[in-house]
Amino acid sequence: MSAPLPLATDHPGQVAPAAPPAPGRSRRLSDRGLAAAFISPALLLLLAMSVFPLLWALYLSFTDYSATRGGPAHFVGFGNYTAILASAQVHQRALTTLIYVVGAVGLQTVLGFTIAYLISRRTHGRGLLTTLFLVPMMLSPVVVGLFWRFMLDAQFGVINSMLGSLGLGQVEWLTRQRTALISLIVVDTWQWTPFIMLIALAGLTAVPKYLYEAASIDRASEWFRFRTITLPLVWPLLLIAVLFRAIEAFRLFDLVYILTNGGPGVSTETLSFHVYKVAFLGFNTGTASAYGILMVLVVIVLTQLYLRYLNKLKED
Amino acid sequence: MRHTRRTRRMPAPGRKVQLATAAMLLVATTVAACGDGQDDGATASAPKAPATIPELTKDPLTLSFIWFDWPPAHALEDFANAEYKKERPNATIKVNTVPNANWHDAMFTQFAARKTDFDIAILDSQHIGEAVTNGNILDITDFVKNNIEVEAYNPYLLAAYGQFPQAETGKRDENASLYGLPLLGDTWTMIYRKDLIGDKPPQTWDQMISVAERCQADNPGVSGLAFHQANGSDAAAVTYNTVNGVYGGNLWDAKTRKIEGVLNDAAGQEAMDVLVNKMKPLTAKGSGNWFIDEVNAAVAQGKACIAFNWIAASGGLLDPKQSMLGTTREQILDKLGFATLPSQKTNLVPLGGMGMHVSAYSAKDNQAEALNFMKWFERADIQKKWAAAGGVPSRTDALESPEFLNAGPFNQVYTDSVPRMRDMWNVPEYARLVDIENTNVNAALNGAKKPKEALDDIAKEQQSVLDSSSRKGGGGL
Repeated sequence: MSAPLPLATDHPGQVAPAAPPAPGRSRRLSDRGLAAAFISPALLLLLAMSVFPLLWALYLSFTDYSATRGGPAHFVGFGNYTAILASAQVHQRALTTLIYVVGAVGLQTVLGFTIAYLISRRTHGRGLLTTLFLVPMMLSPVVVGLFWRFMLDAQFGVINSMLGSLGLGQVEWLTRQRTALISLIVVDTWQWTPFIMLIALAGLTAVPKYLYEAASIDRASEWFRFRTITLPLVWPLLLIAVLFRAIEAFRLFDLVYILTNGGPGVSTETLSFHVYKVAFLGFNTGTASAYGILMVLVVIVLTQLYLRYLNKLKED
Repeated sequence: MRHTRRTRRMPAPGRKVQLATAAMLLVATTVAACGDGQDDGATASAPKAPATIPELTKDPLTLSFIWFDWPPAHALEDFANAEYKKERPNATIKVNTVPNANWHDAMFTQFAARKTDFDIAILDSQHIGEAVTNGNILDITDFVKNNIEVEAYNPYLLAAYGQFPQAETGKRDENASLYGLPLLGDTWTMIYRKDLIGDKPPQTWDQMISVAERCQADNPGVSGLAFHQANGSDAAAVTYNTVNGVYGGNLWDAKTRKIEGVLNDAAGQEAMDVLVNKMKPLTAKGSGNWFIDEVNAAVAQGKACIAFNWIAASGGLLDPKQSMLGTTREQILDKLGFATLPSQKTNLVPLGGMGMHVSAYSAKDNQAEALNFMKWFERADIQKKWAAAGGVPSRTDALESPEFLNAGPFNQVYTDSVPRMRDMWNVPEYARLVDIENTNVNAALNGAKKPKEALDDIAKEQQSVLDSSSRKGGGGL
């Protein structure tokens, strides 16, 4: 075994004596070389799995390449981008996605924060309640989609059965334009509210108790304490949770695929679902690449604006 | 100090070395990911299969198929392993299955990679154009001439599962190239409740609608009709195409490649009106996403007076374990009848089923085995055995054989339907054409679009797909 190298001197200000090289270690392998050797596998993986596909997609987005037709890719300039931005079909999917993101993330934020607030006020059974609430988040979205599809079935689904026992009529959850999108929002909310709840709970437990004690001494009301202590301190953390959920919801695919397949008609087709169709139904790889790049750009721009707001909030 | 040394910027030459290394890594990754670049020079035409079967290997070999998950896929694997092994003991048959909705993607993403884990693709007849144009399957024209008794088939069946460019309905072009051979024939059967509407099935489409209407009124809780309406696969599209055919409409003019003005002509409009305004009100609430399984479930639970489904998927209806209509097959058959589709202005019925196609990327030994399997499968005696095992053969002698006609109550329906069949387009743009039709018909059936608007949108969007080959950018939107 080699002797450990002294990393710092005991007395600041003194120069540490040069340590002799460890026996058996190559003179050429410096610390920097060692660091490079350690990070290169991860770097290679990152290059192969993330950077290269992104750059390759960027290149393809300027061509008319099709993965199945083969042959050389012809340069079409910004043709794919202008076609996508001018397409009425894309505008329709963008609106659907926007309604979905705002609806689902808004509902999840309100519910998640409310549940976290209620749990944080309990002294007994907090752990058990938190664990129970987290169960939906642990499930695969495909599994969630499949069992909700059965539950929402108009003929034999448990939801309509319950409505029937209350004397209410059957609802066509997945086959009517309005209810289909609402169903998607409800299912996504069922699965992902725990995520917001978890982050909010972390924020709520981190609020110093002495602030509440001081407020109690001042005989501040419950609402005043919530408005001036709890919410401002949890708000930045909550906004980060909202950011993560919004990005996730923006690229929703699995639930749409399982629950509605984009229907009725194309009324629940999100942008991601549309990209999938462009990419795999006609194998228009060039157009699908441009579509994907545009979606990435939208997420990056919106995230930057959002992060700036968050930083400003922190500074304030 | 160590810390300050670490955070200090590197000298310029060191940075350059790092940048150069990163660039080299990226280039290396790119080259590795692009493979040997054969894609760029790939020609877009199907390679030819040998006219005679090459020498077969004596080593153990697995012949792999790809199909979607349904009873015929499992029947094929069992049948082939039991029978083909008698002649080729070293060969094992494996039928890989995927969900129906992923069937096209599963095959064509592998074709796109120029590497397949299957030797025989079981393509829908409409997929042929896409696979041929991309050079994904072998041209077996010469092989068929030397090894298959073509006169033993109804010419249209042989054409529908193998010919490209597509055959006109009921005809086969003797000079056209063949890329596949029939595996499983299929069409729609009308399933009707004998105990509710009587033993005699309705003969015309209008009559069928009025019988269903009366049955629904007389039997609360039972819907008049059940049929495919989902917007996945080709569900809603086949339903509309069937009604369109029966009411004298056409899907397109193949010679001029015109859809607009053809599909949405007066006959097409009438068909859409019948489907949405007369047939849809007779279906169960929430049935707007029904496909094969849901229609079968409605029939098995006694919830539909008249239903339409593919014959190959109807076997489960006779299983007492899956049915509420009786505790024995005989009891179920006392209540259920199977008939050919009613006619109206024409007697057309939809062509279903699939053919066998040899992957161009399969190993030579496997391609030879695949050709040998196809030759074996199309033999008269094997086609009859396939019929007895629950398959739907394509040779006329097998279709008329007692082995086939006695194997299921709906098999006579298939034999009677063969001369009446019409298929969709099998052009390379099929996947997009059918998606446009599916989503719009589904929208009309579920109240998201007016019937006329939906039909006009189908015609306009499909025409733009056919006309978009010269467009620069934005293909696929």
